[in-house]
Parts: sequence; structure tokens; C-alpha cells
Amino acid sequence: MLLPPVAALLVLGAIGAYYLALDPANEAYDQALIDVAIALGERIRVNGGDLGFDLPGAAEQVLRTDRYDTIYYLVRRPDGTRLAGDAGLPAPPRGAVPEDSVIAYDGVYHETDLRLVAMLVPCGGRTCTIQVAETTKKRRLLASNIALSGIVTSAVIALLLLGLVWIGVKRGLTPLEDLSSEIRARSARDLQPIDSARAPEEARPLVAALNQLFGRVEEASANQQRFLANAAHQLRTPLAGLQAHTELALSHDFPAAQRAELEQLRTSTIRTARLANQLLALARAEPGGSRGDVVAPANLRAVVEEVVDEWVHRAMAKEIDLGFELADASVVGDTLLLREALANLVHNALEYSPPGAHVTVRTGVRNQRPFLEVEDEGPGIPAGERERVLERFYRTAGTPGTGSGLGLSIVREIAAAHGAAIEIGAGEGGRGCKVGLTFPHG
Amino acid sequence: MIGRVRILIVEDDAALASGIARILEGEGHAVDVMAKGEQAVLGARQERFDLIILDVGLPGIDGFEVLRRLRAAGDRTPVLVLTARDALDDRVHGLDLGADDYMAKPFAMPELAARVRALVRRSQAQTGPKIVHGPLVLDTLARRATLEGAPLDLAAREWAVLEVLLARVEKIVSKESIIQAVANWGEELTPNAIEVYVSRLRAKLDPSGIRIRTVRGFGYMLEEYKELHAGQ
Repeated sequence: MLLPPVAALLVLGAIGAYYLALDPANEAYDQALIDVAIALGERIRVNGGDLGFDLPGAAEQVLRTDRYDTIYYLVRRPDGTRLAGDAGLPAPPRGAVPEDSVIAYDGVYHETDLRLVAMLVPCGGRTCTIQVAETTKKRRLLASNIALSGIVTSAVIALLLLGLVWIGVKRGLTPLEDLSSEIRARSARDLQPIDSARAPEEARPLVAALNQLFGRVEEASANQQRFLANAAHQLRTPLAGLQAHTELALSHDFPAAQRAELEQLRTSTIRTARLANQLLALARAEPGGSRGDVVAPANLRAVVEEVVDEWVHRAMAKEIDLGFELADASVVGDTLLLREALANLVHNALEYSPPGAHVTVRTGVRNQRPFLEVEDEGPGIPAGERERVLERFYRTAGTPGTGSGLGLSIVREIAAAHGAAIEIGAGEGGRGCKVGLTFPHG
Repeated sequence: MIGRVRILIVEDDAALASGIARILEGEGHAVDVMAKGEQAVLGARQERFDLIILDVGLPGIDGFEVLRRLRAAGDRTPVLVLTARDALDDRVHGLDLGADDYMAKPFAMPELAARVRALVRRSQAQTGPKIVHGPLVLDTLARRATLEGAPLDLAAREWAVLEVLLARVEKIVSKESIIQAVANWGEELTPNAIEVYVSRLRAKLDPSGIRIRTVRGFGYMLEEYKELHAGQ
């Protein structure tokens, strides 16, 4: 992220360095030109009123020889006309050349950039002007070299700085990273406050604010729990009364038609009670519905054994052979929810199995993962509908009318709350239905 | 097979209380109904009941508190706790406080009636030396059993297994708990051995209509005796 602006700064710095480097380069080379100008000034001869210039061919050769640049010169008479050298060199700015001194300036000659020096020399009581010029190739070369060495140094320093900044930021952010991964790893039910002593100094107000939020969420969740418990109580007691009186009425002699209506009333009462239970279970299974402190080590086998009595009686009433293949299976979870999941699976199995069928509840460890499964000999769930039956209120076509379509979605929510995978398949020999929950290793 | 018993129902919902009362009266029991916990504690102190059906969610002191006070006063009357909450904690809490059974609302009346019979029978069995189950009588003092009036020959182990099942009529009893109850100290009994004893018991009792159900992979249940089964 820091790289583009740093690169831009480096380029700007290079351009600046180039222009700054031009000055010292010019100064050094200007001096060489001035030396030439002084040497040329000594070659002016005054013969009476006439001016001459005496530069042997060999000397001029030496003068003009340079490894990089072309060198020009021009000697002007006091009236400005050419005495010797290359005609047409740009004249210095008028009046700018002080007596007994030199100036250096830039100009263009034959469409080439030139650096020039001009100086005045006495000639027969008046002053002649000597100009020496050269192209700017070696000056630019020098400036480039200076700038380049500068830019290389800067780049190295910049890279080192970037590295240092990266390490520093990384080190400074490690506690924050730890903090966020800790929060990310939390289950939605875990609302324990974060230990602010482990957070970096700068993040402590944030942690305090988070803890406050956790506290409020937990309180809201506790309120919801109390509300649910009350709602359960308020709903179930009148339903129990309704069921009691319906069954009481059924114990009297009634004509068949009225009897059928009473039976219907009783069935509806039982369904309503079950639906109320399921809605409460669903609310509890959702994230935030249950409190983190109820999550504890549990044995799936014990969870099953706890409710065997209740189910076996229901199974016997339907003449279904409900059997168990139980081995220890340790998980960490909310016993109440696990029991609810099992209850829904067994309820479905009993509901959809014909009299005389077998229903088997299994717990144990398979491939090092605890599991529980319920297998029945009912109609089964077609492969294409196995995903959809997990949706709320979805019911497979042609099923008898007692289910709410909530059972398996409750199982799914509870599985999700425990990090368990849910699998729906056919029973042994492709018959019936087998629903299994496989819990995380451990 | 159980006589007329006095039952106290402590339930603040009038409709439910009257429903339960009329069903139990229909079974031939004498029933009192109270709506408040304090009232129930007093009532149980003044009169003797054979069974108390106690709702947890009462106005004033709740059912758990009633149970605690009864037990603290040395009252051992069997208590069947009713709760509208489904938390397992409620059941555990209730049983810890000395409840004898537990039912979650709403419940089917036949099931309530069966539980009531089982509780009363159990408490009567505990008070007398004779355990009666339909045509079967176990005299625990004389260690003699009769079936339909005729002496019944039971091996010691068969007797022990039968006693465990009789103590928990209509309840599922796991093989492990039978082994624990039957095995002598330091002795190893296999589940297979229990199966053998149960099949011998069945051979002797089945003709008289006494049914021991197998719960596959788990254990057994002695069914409530119904005159119907005797076929007489």
C-alpha cells in the first residue's frame, strides 16, 4: 500500500536531483571554458590601429579537442564584428558582461544547446569580447550520474525503510490480529468478555466497548430465555387442561360422529402442543438463543438413555420395535438441544414407520468422530428431496398430516450450533430412512 | 389391583386440575385439589395422602419449595411432579428434592393414570411384605411366590430379576441396572446371563398374561397387568 507513493516520491526526487546536480556540473566545466577564454585573450595582437589574432592551426586543434563535446569560440572586435572563430555564436546579454570579469550563460547554436562564457579583454585601449562555448553533453552526463547515484541510494534507503515500517506495523498489529482471530473463532453462543489485559494499549477502549456490547447481548438473550420459559409455561398448562378434558370426554359414550370430532380435537391439541415445543426449541437452537454456559461435555449415549422410557412407550403403542445400539460418544454441547434433536429424529421415525417396523437409535464413534443416528423402515425420503426437508415447514409430498415440517429444520439448527454434519440417506438395503449427525472430532 | 387411594392434586390451573381430578376419580380414587403451595404444605400435614401430584409453577411458593418443605418435615408421600418447562434441569432438580416421578405438560391422561398406579403400587409394595402383580404374588419375607394361587418355583436369580422388574412396572430397565441389582459383590454377570433368566421368567409367567417386553439393545419392561391378557 505504501509502495506507489514512495515510488512517486523517488521519481520526483530523481528529477529534483538532476536539476540540482546541473549547477555543480556547470560550475566545474564553466571554469574550464573560462581558462580557454583567458588563453584566447592572450592571442589578440595590436598592430597600431589594427587588431590581429594569432592562433596556430595546431593550437586550435588542441583547443577544439574534447572527448564528448564540440567546442566553439568567437573573438569580437570592440565594435562587435568577428575577429576570429565561429561566427554567429549567441552574444551575451547586452551590457551584462562586467569589466575584468566573465559571465556564463546558455544559448542555442545550430539548433544545439550550448553553454557559453563571455569575457572582455583590453585591445588597443578598447575592449574586445571573447566567447567560448561547448555543447552540453558531458554536463548532462555528469548531472545524470550524480542524480543516478542519488536515486540508487534513495531507493535502497526507501526499501529498507519500507521493510522496517512493515515489520514494525506487523509487530504492532500482532495483538490486534490475535484478538480478531479469537473473536472470529468464538461460537455465536459465547458471549464471555474479552480479557482486556491481553489487548494492546490502543485497542483497550475498543475491547471495553465490545465487552459492553457482549454484556448487553447476553442480557437480552437471558431476557429472551426467561420469556421463552414463561411462554412455554403459559402455553402448555392450558393445552394440558384442553387435552385432559378432551380425553375425559372421550371416556364417555358418544355417537360415532361426535366421537370422531373429539378425536380430531385431541389430535389437534397434541399437534399444537408439539408445535409450541418445536418453535421454542427452534428459538433456543438459534445463535444467541441459548447461553454459552450451558455448553458442557456430554455423552450422546447418556442423552439417549435419559429419554428411552418416553419413546419406548410411544413405540409400543404403535407396535414398532424401537431398538438401541449405544456406545459411548463424548461431545461438547447443550444437552437440552441434543435431546431435542434426538427427540425430533425419533419422533419422525416413529411417525412414518408402519406397525411391525424396526426403528434403531445408534450412538458411538466412527472414524474418530462421535455420531448419533436414527434409522427407520418408513417410506424414506427421495434422494432429490433430502436437502429440502431440512428447510422450515417443508413437507414431502403425500406424507400423512401430522407433521409441522419443523422437526428436521430444528435438527439442522441444533447440528449447526454444535458444528455437526447432518446426513440423510436410505436405511439398510435401500429401505426406509437414516438420519445421522456426525460431530467434530473430540 | 390397587385399592382406593387418596390423591392430592396441587395445580393452580383450574381446568387442568379438574380434568386430572375427574379422570382419577373415574379410576376410583378419592381426590383433593389445592391451588396454592402453602395450602398444600398445610393440607399434607393435617391429612394423609397416598400420592401428591404437584405442579412446579404455583403462585406463592413454587412446587419445588412445597416438595422441599414436605421432605424436610419427614413426609415420604410419593410425589409426581408436573412441569410446564421442559428443561432437564427441572427433572433433575425435582428428583434431587425427593420427587418420585416427573411429567412434562401436556401429557396424555392414560399415561398419567398409569404413572399414578405405578407410584401407588410401588409405595404399597415398599410398605408391605407382599408384592402383587395381577395373579402373581411375591412374599418377600417368606421368599415364596404364587401364581394364580399355585406355588411358583423361582431360582434365586430369577427371583432377583423379577423383583427388579416388579419395582419398576411400565418402566424401561436397562440390562446394566439389572446386572448391578442382581450380581453379588465381585461377581461378573454378562448381559447374556440376564437374557437367560428373563426367558425362563417369561416361560413361567407368560401363560398367566404377565408380559416382559424386550427393548432391543437396551433392556426390559414389565408391562402393567391387564385383566384382558389373562384371557379368562
